[in-house]
Amino acid sequence: MGKRKDLKKVVLLGSGPINIGQACEFDYSGTQACKALMAEGLEVILINSNPATIMTDVEVATRVYVEPLKIPFVKKILEKEKPDALIPTLGGQTALNLALDLEKEGILKELNIELLGAKVKTIEAAEDRAKFSKVLDDVGAKYPKSIMVKTFEQGLSAAEELGFPIILRPNYTLGGGGGGVAYSMEEYKVRLATALHESPTSEVLVDESILGWKEYELEVIRDKDGTFVVICSIENIDACGVHTGDSITVAPQQTLSDREYQDMRDEAQKIINAVGVETGGANVQFAVDPKTKERVVIEMNPRVSRSSALASKATGFPIAKIAALLAIGYTLDELKNDITGTTLSCYEPALDYVVTKVPKFSFEKFPGAKDVLSTQMKSIGEVMGIGRTFKESFQKCFLGLENGDSLMTPRALDEKKISYPNSERMYYLFQALREGYTVERLAEMTLINEWYLEQFEDIARMENDLKTNELNAETLKKAKRLGFSDSSISTLVHRSEIEIRELRHKNNIRPKFYKVDTCAAEFKSETPYFYSTYWSEPDPVQQNPDTILLLGSGPNRIGQGIEFDYSCVRSVKEFQRQGFKVAMLNSNPETVSTDYDTSDSLYFEALHEETILEILFQLNPKGFVSQLGGQTPINIAPKLIEAGFNMLGSSLDSMDLAEDRGRFIQICKEFGFKIPRSGMASGLEVALENMKHIGYPAICRPSYVLGGRRMEIVEDEKELISYFHRHKNFISEKSPCLMDQFLDRALEVDVDLVRGPDWTVVGGVIEHIEAAGVHSGDSMGVIPPQRLKEETCEKLQKLSVSLAEQLNILGFLNLQLAIKEDQIYMIEANPRSSRSVPFMAKATGVPLVNLGVKAMLGLTKDKVQPEKYKWNRGQKTAVKGVVFPFKKFLESDSILGPEMKSTGESMGRGSNYSEALLKALVSSRFELPLKGEVFLSLRDKDKEELLPAAKELEKMGYSLSATGGTAQFLSDNGVSCLKIKKVHEGRPNCVDRIQSGEVAFVINTTSGKQSVEASFGIRQSCTVYSVPCLTESDAANAFLLALKKHKEGDFEVYPLEPMVK
Amino acid sequence: MSWGSLVLESGKVFQGQFMGQKESVGEVVFNTSHSGYEEMATDPSYYNQILVMTAPMQGNYGESNEVWESENIWIKGFVCLEIQQSTRESSWQQKLNANGCPVFHEVDTRKLVLHLREQGTVWGALVNGVDEASIARGQEMIAQNKASSSQDWTQKVCTSEPYTLEGKDKLGPKVAMIDFGCKKNILRELQKRSREIKVFPSTVAASEILQWDPNAVFLSNGPGDPSFVDQGTETVKELLGKKYIFGICMGHQVLARALGGRTYKLKFGHRGSNHPIRDSITNTIYMSAQNHGYAVDEKSMPSDIEVTHLNLNDNVVSGIKCERLSCASVQFHPESHPGPHDAAKIFEHFAQQARQC
Repeated sequence: MGKRKDLKKVVLLGSGPINIGQACEFDYSGTQACKALMAEGLEVILINSNPATIMTDVEVATRVYVEPLKIPFVKKILEKEKPDALIPTLGGQTALNLALDLEKEGILKELNIELLGAKVKTIEAAEDRAKFSKVLDDVGAKYPKSIMVKTFEQGLSAAEELGFPIILRPNYTLGGGGGGVAYSMEEYKVRLATALHESPTSEVLVDESILGWKEYELEVIRDKDGTFVVICSIENIDACGVHTGDSITVAPQQTLSDREYQDMRDEAQKIINAVGVETGGANVQFAVDPKTKERVVIEMNPRVSRSSALASKATGFPIAKIAALLAIGYTLDELKNDITGTTLSCYEPALDYVVTKVPKFSFEKFPGAKDVLSTQMKSIGEVMGIGRTFKESFQKCFLGLENGDSLMTPRALDEKKISYPNSERMYYLFQALREGYTVERLAEMTLINEWYLEQFEDIARMENDLKTNELNAETLKKAKRLGFSDSSISTLVHRSEIEIRELRHKNNIRPKFYKVDTCAAEFKSETPYFYSTYWSEPDPVQQNPDTILLLGSGPNRIGQGIEFDYSCVRSVKEFQRQGFKVAMLNSNPETVSTDYDTSDSLYFEALHEETILEILFQLNPKGFVSQLGGQTPINIAPKLIEAGFNMLGSSLDSMDLAEDRGRFIQICKEFGFKIPRSGMASGLEVALENMKHIGYPAICRPSYVLGGRRMEIVEDEKELISYFHRHKNFISEKSPCLMDQFLDRALEVDVDLVRGPDWTVVGGVIEHIEAAGVHSGDSMGVIPPQRLKEETCEKLQKLSVSLAEQLNILGFLNLQLAIKEDQIYMIEANPRSSRSVPFMAKATGVPLVNLGVKAMLGLTKDKVQPEKYKWNRGQKTAVKGVVFPFKKFLESDSILGPEMKSTGESMGRGSNYSEALLKALVSSRFELPLKGEVFLSLRDKDKEELLPAAKELEKMGYSLSATGGTAQFLSDNGVSCLKIKKVHEGRPNCVDRIQSGEVAFVINTTSGKQSVEASFGIRQSCTVYSVPCLTESDAANAFLLALKKHKEGDFEVYPLEPMVK
Repeated sequence: MSWGSLVLESGKVFQGQFMGQKESVGEVVFNTSHSGYEEMATDPSYYNQILVMTAPMQGNYGESNEVWESENIWIKGFVCLEIQQSTRESSWQQKLNANGCPVFHEVDTRKLVLHLREQGTVWGALVNGVDEASIARGQEMIAQNKASSSQDWTQKVCTSEPYTLEGKDKLGPKVAMIDFGCKKNILRELQKRSREIKVFPSTVAASEILQWDPNAVFLSNGPGDPSFVDQGTETVKELLGKKYIFGICMGHQVLARALGGRTYKLKFGHRGSNHPIRDSITNTIYMSAQNHGYAVDEKSMPSDIEVTHLNLNDNVVSGIKCERLSCASVQFHPESHPGPHDAAKIFEHFAQQARQC
């Protein structure tokens, strides 16, 4: 048998920019699949518009197209490449939907391309709810009663039939987008309207509620001969009603009896076969009534998913790799189990540990958004913890979450926060346990299974023991086995963390590193994939002078995501090339870095001082690397150095110079850099005093922040007072508020460079498309710069290089600069690899990460030959597009500012700026309307600036409408424009107009707290109805440029060029 | 609850929490199934064995007499990392203790399993204490009991008197069951597909079965070393060619011996719910539940015996067939409980064959 001989070239579809519900788990699956298919000697063509991914590294596939995952672009690539087949099952819902579109338009047939892994019929049988219900009937599986609704009226009658609460599920959306639970008719009507709109087919399934049932998921694999295995069972701690991505989940399932489990397994097998999954990974979700044990099917996905990434990491079974190999003709018994190296892939992993996953939320980034968890996914990342017991693994997750508070931090008891699912429920639940709430009572309030509550109770009991008794070695050991961190223990017993560590070490209470081996120790395993546990005796200490401990970036969050995983993964190969072994440490199950075959050894652990130190004590490596995993490892580094370990690259002092705002400003001043006027304030009084020399507008932010948390532009004294009032908890003597002059209308650029002992390479200069004031992570960017003067660009590079020297950087330095009136202002410096590194490397071909590794290892100029690396030698223009999650946080304003809110990025490459822009916007899921009405509402200072754009729009055949002031201005300047009422001027107003579908896109610029609030409705309705809304004048101009290009209709597709060797 | 020891004949001692009234001794074996602790503990094949669960969390879903695979808890001890001690409802831990079975937990089961995997199956004693005297007591218990390995254990667990069960298929075959330590679910599966079942002790004479004149004879699972199950083997030998015969686990090993083959002891056995089987009759691969410490030696089999099933983990013989003498058997457990139902069709196959006889 073996692989099919007729397949020579296959196309793999990625999943595009990261957003909620579709994140870097698809980079993991796609990268794994590419590697496996390349190793089989196939030509692999990869299409993905997300430059932050590892899979779009030019070496991962035969050819990589960073192009929009949309029909016209993909069609062009397919015509050019003429592949034999296309694999749509590894790129999430985006790839699956795209494959359906390609089929519907007859493109696959026309080009004679076979779909591998899932046929159209299969995709439809699983994804189309009515067809899926038919499949379930055929195999005798039960499912919640549900009614397919295509109109609002149908929806109302369905509600009458089903009664409340009701679950809404729009067809063909990712992460359950547009869905939710409605408890009353009033709420239902609102949700129904949204859901109908969200579904690309205007179909919504209205489900009978199974709230409170236990929820499960089986990750399964099938080969073409019908061999079926369950890779992993996953149980949700939160009862049905919370999206599984937002739920705390446990693998393997813990509370089903063998009979219940095997019946579920049988049903999954029947469903997979009936749906027609021929080969590959799939998942089936079930709900079980805890009282009657009745079981229903919730849904199935005929593709790898977020949960299959989790299942792969939890078990060691590489689902995506195997799925890819099955797709090209192999069967499970022909594929080796990589982990054991001796057995085959046709087996079901047996686990002798427990895995917990806890989602990470960012509600604080979206003021106004309600922290309520429902069937629509809201979390933006996750951590996984492996422990020998549930309690150990559960507590590890909270250690890795970086939420600030530990579960042991007391809170004011709040029953309300326990009674409905929300991102902080667990903290309140523990408070209730602390105050003596019984398991029975909590089970009633939360619908969480008693078994889990009893586990939590055990933890709470230990917390109390620690608080009330003298700490001895025996209690300490018990506490460690329950997953308590030294820092939690230290708080509870009122002793320092170092004292706890010393007591622990004195009594030889140290972790053992056990292997994830897929088989519960039944077979020998050579794969060094480790987790720590206190349920054994520690291993003997090793000496590893050739090993580097690489610190990853932990759970994805806004501001620290997949870009840092790119840096970590890419660096591994370079470290290895330089003769070192890499031990990888990370807690994020979605990533490529936590694939067991990425590094020489893998430690699946929290990015936490204690955990890292124990690994360092155990391994004694050459040193650790903290420059690649974002801000998290940088923040931990000082403690590791204090404990006597060696950090590669820039010294702690260099880092501190760049990180500490005060010291940094001092250096810049000495150095002759222009810096915005600034000051520090520990409170409002000082701030008011500061403003006398800084002047309004100014930017305020607390020290040591990532992704611009709590960073705001204040326009006047009133806003300053409000700022200090709202953020007083984060501002103190120890962590003062940093205040900077705001460089209004300045041009911003990002510079990334790498410095070795006697050399520096500038990786590139990205020019922001939006003017200063929009966070660099949220602004679009272009390389090479389009508006920056050549001489200024030269000058700023020189200044950057000298600054790197001054700071004595060894490795990466990321600078954010602003240019106003030809003056170069230093805004911020980060002594580490940055978010922009992967984009820059792919846009320029400069292998920045490899250079960074060489720099950290101290390689000199003669070995590195830095003169080879020129970032502006390329012929292409690359634009970075941005993706926002506002649809999931409708109550929150989508206006862009200095606090980062985007979840992902896209890249558009073109032979000129407009082509690149067009692609970046399309990839960022902007609809580019070719005709229709453009609605404008502009603040005064933008009116003149956007007048040419308005004229252009009119010329291009769009009709214009605007609110009073803007309409008047346009008419006065000879542009015909329909005047529309503002929201407070009565009805019908501009919001009504947007909601009625008459507006193609919106340009809405505003500033000042009051006007921002007044125009919120405009932006909100744009978000709801997917109407493009430009909130910044430069962005509006860029959008216009892309529209023009779009109207012309001609574009090319280009594979990435190889990196400079 | 107090600290106790699992003393192994290899000299190794593991400490853990001891719960129960009685100390005990037995062969120490591990099972990698995630669930099904109660089915395992009541499976007569675990007679004289201390059961180590590799899955760390046990007792999670309570207990229920409905899932018992026989009338007794047969295991000599239940070893795991953590056992649920719930006041909420009836607990598995309490049930084990009430039935005289010690529970040994908070023990580093992975280390223990790694040891068993390297050393092979050993005898061990669960003692309530960690001092030298306790350990010496454990060694003494092992010394006294180990010799029982060289006995026919099936006689200790099988029914003492024959009994009949009514089947649910009026048109189904009449089936004689030789009970080597039969799991109830084999009987349940057979009842669904037969008109009557008569269960005989493992020491039954062939004549007694022939007198009852069944359509087919079924050989059940059971504990211990098949090479000492001489009486059962003799009986089967006499029945060969006279009745259609099908065996499971011990039944498979006894059949192989009756056909002239030999059995051997596996290093640490196969116990779990994830063993891949290649079935060359149906040309499929599926997951099977397994629980055996001995296996059939392929090389020892006469040439007209066909190996029909293989364990893909290590290519151990997992099923045989002899057309000439009209018999077949499998090493694994198509009746599951615990484990996947993938092989349940084998009972269909048996019923079909039996109906033709």
